[in-house]
Amino acid sequence: MNITRRNVLLGATAAAAFAPLTSRAQTAEVVIGVIYPLSGASAQIGVDAQKAFETAADLINKNYDFGLPLAKGEGLPGLGGAKIRLVFADHQADPQKGRAEAERLITQEKVCAVIGTYQSSVAVTVSQICERYQIPFLSADNSSPSLHRRGLKFYFRAAPHDEMFSTAMFDFFDAMKKKGTKIETLALFHEDTIFGTDSSNAQLKLAKERGYKVVSDIKYRANSPSLTAEVQQLKAANADVLMPSSYTTDGILLVKTMAELGYKPNAIVAQDAGFSEKALYDAVGDKLEGVISRGSFSLDLAAKRPMVGKINDMFKERSGKDFNDYSSRQFMGLIVMADAINRAKSTDGDKIREALVATDMPGDVTIMPWKRVKFDETGQNNDADPVLLQYVGGKFVTIFPTQAAVAEASWPMK
Amino acid sequence: MTAETIIQSLASGLLMGLLYGLIAVGLALIFGLMDVVNFAHGEFLMIAMYVTFFLFAFFAIDPLLSAPLVAAALFVFGAVVYLLIVRFAVRAKANAGMVQIFSTFGLAIVMRGLAQYFFTPDYRSVTNSWLGGKTVSVAGIFLPVPQLVGALLAIAAFGALYLFINRTDFGRALEATREDAGAVALVGIDKNKVFALGWGLGAALVGLSGAVMAIFFYIYPDVGASFALIAYVTVALGGFGSVFGAFAGGILVGLVEATTALILPPSLKSVGIYAVYLLVVFIRPRGLFGSM
Amino acid sequence: MDTSFAGRRRRDLVVAFCLAAIAAVVPLFVKDVYVQNIMVLTLMYGALSQSWNILSGYCGQISLGHALYFGIGAYTTALLFTKFGVLPWFGMLGGGIISAIIAMALGYPCFRLRGHYFVIATIVIAEIGLLLFHNWDWAGAALGIDIPVRGDSWLKFQFTRSKLPYFYFALALACVAWFVTWWLEDSKWGYWWRAVKDNPDAAESLGVVVFNSKMGAAAVSAFLVAVGGSFYAQFVSYIDPESVMGFQFSLLMALPAVLGGIGTLWGPLLGAIILIPLTELTRSFIGGSGRGVDLIVYGGLIIAISLARPQGLVGLFSPKRKEVAR
Repeated sequence: MNITRRNVLLGATAAAAFAPLTSRAQTAEVVIGVIYPLSGASAQIGVDAQKAFETAADLINKNYDFGLPLAKGEGLPGLGGAKIRLVFADHQADPQKGRAEAERLITQEKVCAVIGTYQSSVAVTVSQICERYQIPFLSADNSSPSLHRRGLKFYFRAAPHDEMFSTAMFDFFDAMKKKGTKIETLALFHEDTIFGTDSSNAQLKLAKERGYKVVSDIKYRANSPSLTAEVQQLKAANADVLMPSSYTTDGILLVKTMAELGYKPNAIVAQDAGFSEKALYDAVGDKLEGVISRGSFSLDLAAKRPMVGKINDMFKERSGKDFNDYSSRQFMGLIVMADAINRAKSTDGDKIREALVATDMPGDVTIMPWKRVKFDETGQNNDADPVLLQYVGGKFVTIFPTQAAVAEASWPMK
Repeated sequence: MTAETIIQSLASGLLMGLLYGLIAVGLALIFGLMDVVNFAHGEFLMIAMYVTFFLFAFFAIDPLLSAPLVAAALFVFGAVVYLLIVRFAVRAKANAGMVQIFSTFGLAIVMRGLAQYFFTPDYRSVTNSWLGGKTVSVAGIFLPVPQLVGALLAIAAFGALYLFINRTDFGRALEATREDAGAVALVGIDKNKVFALGWGLGAALVGLSGAVMAIFFYIYPDVGASFALIAYVTVALGGFGSVFGAFAGGILVGLVEATTALILPPSLKSVGIYAVYLLVVFIRPRGLFGSM
Repeated sequence: MDTSFAGRRRRDLVVAFCLAAIAAVVPLFVKDVYVQNIMVLTLMYGALSQSWNILSGYCGQISLGHALYFGIGAYTTALLFTKFGVLPWFGMLGGGIISAIIAMALGYPCFRLRGHYFVIATIVIAEIGLLLFHNWDWAGAALGIDIPVRGDSWLKFQFTRSKLPYFYFALALACVAWFVTWWLEDSKWGYWWRAVKDNPDAAESLGVVVFNSKMGAAAVSAFLVAVGGSFYAQFVSYIDPESVMGFQFSLLMALPAVLGGIGTLWGPLLGAIILIPLTELTRSFIGGSGRGVDLIVYGGLIIAISLARPQGLVGLFSPKRKEVAR
């Protein structure tokens, strides 16, 4: 007997069983749990995430004239103008603590939905707990493809996962090859946690399918004190494209070490993470002119959609930073969740889940270059088109796919 | 694998190893003096890097110039830590070893928390320093200038330390206190003063390495964790209490790390360091140069 | 002396029985799952620390690498269950036995090392284990192992919402670890360990028997910690190398004993009762600020306790016990 299947059958009666949770539905606030690493090695991401979520909550709770769902008017009209209240919890990158915090948020803070978590390993346990309590979990910025393949009913992800991101990269290579650019060999450089492993697995698979030769596949220990040996091997392989999957710390050290060892790759196509962080470009941006990173956000969208620039300004006021790939996905995470709660007209987990399943948000009412937000049966949004961005003159420009591009890719990088 | 790759690996390993030695020597000095292992050593390094960063960011003092200032700041910090915490830890009547480990470990956690509180968890870097990103190339072998300077500084520091311990009054007082803390009290040397100065000196050496590290490494509250374990292994490998051992241990660790990365997947390169440590202590239970 | 020692031991047993009985009924009144979760963790760390205390406290071999055994226990159970469908109860036993064997194999060369050389050896051995699991693709490498939970079952030892089964298992584990310690205190081994601690030269005369007893202590300690690891894998239902074999686990096993009183019968439990709720509560209620205040409070407390009460907090409760403890 399979409990997830049983849940579907009992879906209708489940609402009654959770009467204590639903009884709060008519109160003036809707409580949403937000679980991030707020101390420890990746605290910086969590602290920035807080600002992104607060910006989104502010947009929902106050009256703004943007074409974004719920921006106009105050609060959630579907719940009589109820305001969003966020409760932040710290998981310290530990799956066990994430699990405990999710349980606390659900049972004590009575949150009606949970959003998280940056680290994919924590998303595994948090989503399990949400499933057990039948509370929707929206994975705002986890990119591990294994997450949505676990048969969970309350798991949703509006943003792309690593396979989608990597596919975009290889589509881009194919397009460049058609134009006559020589791209035959690849060097993979990835860290040894879940993010780097998933990313390199996807890239290895795609390289094989599309006939690219992986001349170097280097897995390194995250937060290593030195990357000299690793960079030497990359240099010796001298591939046409270097594809790093690294967080900020290792990204900075990688670029510095490459410069020190006189390694100038022909092109870098990065799997985001560190390569979308301001800290990395502050540190080594001068050496990265022409680097390409995948992303799900690009600020040059503001030219087409002015609200993107204005919302970015609101975020910048709080955090001192522009939206990046993470903060933009976190921001959208809350918007998508709040939109579903609003349509559910209830804070009951099952009703919100139904509303999430029915979500169909056109891309142009988001701040992302996505086609739309619509979840498949696994809870994944397959219409979240990733983009490739190139770092030119101190900022990112979209170069791929062609319909979103504002500039031609400059290849090789300078 | 070409000869060039191997030479380049060994050269980089040697430079990194000397730096590891410099990071670790403060630990060796303090242990030699009073048998205390400072489990907040990585956090001392973190503070040194932040001091370097802020001197650079606010006063535009290049890390090369600020190195003595950082060392001085850390000297004061180390002495204060001794007087406020370690002094009481060594006095503990029961479980002295555990009390030292856990009081310094608690200090490490507090320092990380304070760094996050005051400096935020943002990643910082010293950009455009004099040496940053510079590199010299000899016959196809690249030697990054910051590490090269760090290595020279390490050699100079070890030389100076050697002369200091053997040739100065204070050095002799350190030696004497280390050999028999009870007896020195009789000849009028204040044990606490000597220990405080010893901690200051050990921390100052960390300060020096922190200033060099800041040129080419990122800085954030948890940065010390990456180096702490390497520093402990380096000191133990060389033999606790032996300043020369820390020097030799550092070089060995650097070379082993570089060689392992040539043979095994780089994500396993620390395994080489750990395996060599175990091999050495199983044969020589007091490390390479520890007093038997 | 003998009668008072025997009397104290009888008293300890009675007190332990009463405490266990009280603990057993607490969750019937405290229904909040968050609080129950903290109670489960407290009992688990109490049991782990008690097991650690056998080798490190009584035997004086300070290990900061017990995460290795914890991880082996967790991985054995999870791998056997997800790959071969072996019930976790057998995995628990298997993990315990494997850990005990490894502990003895490692103890053989390591017990020759003294002081910090031994401590660092335990750290790097656990670190090697962590790196190997991180790179072992069959065992999930960094992706870890997600244990599918399909409803409540004692057979599979998994429960979707209820914390009670986990609570009673953790309580039982803590009782077993306590009882083993209690029993060892008055055994031949316990006597030798005390003799060696009081007078290291006595170790020479006792030679081989003491060495063997240390091997025994390492095995018992590793077995119990591995059972704790198996329990953790079932409790969290997801493991990855960092979350079961990381250095922080080695520390978390040592801390309660150190704070409560190392080498004492009641120290580890007392330490866990103070430390674990404190860790959880500071993270939950201060950690959300993102300013690191929880770390400052937590670290500050460790410094304060270890400086103010080097013999552990257990001395506060029974001044007489100190002599026996030392």
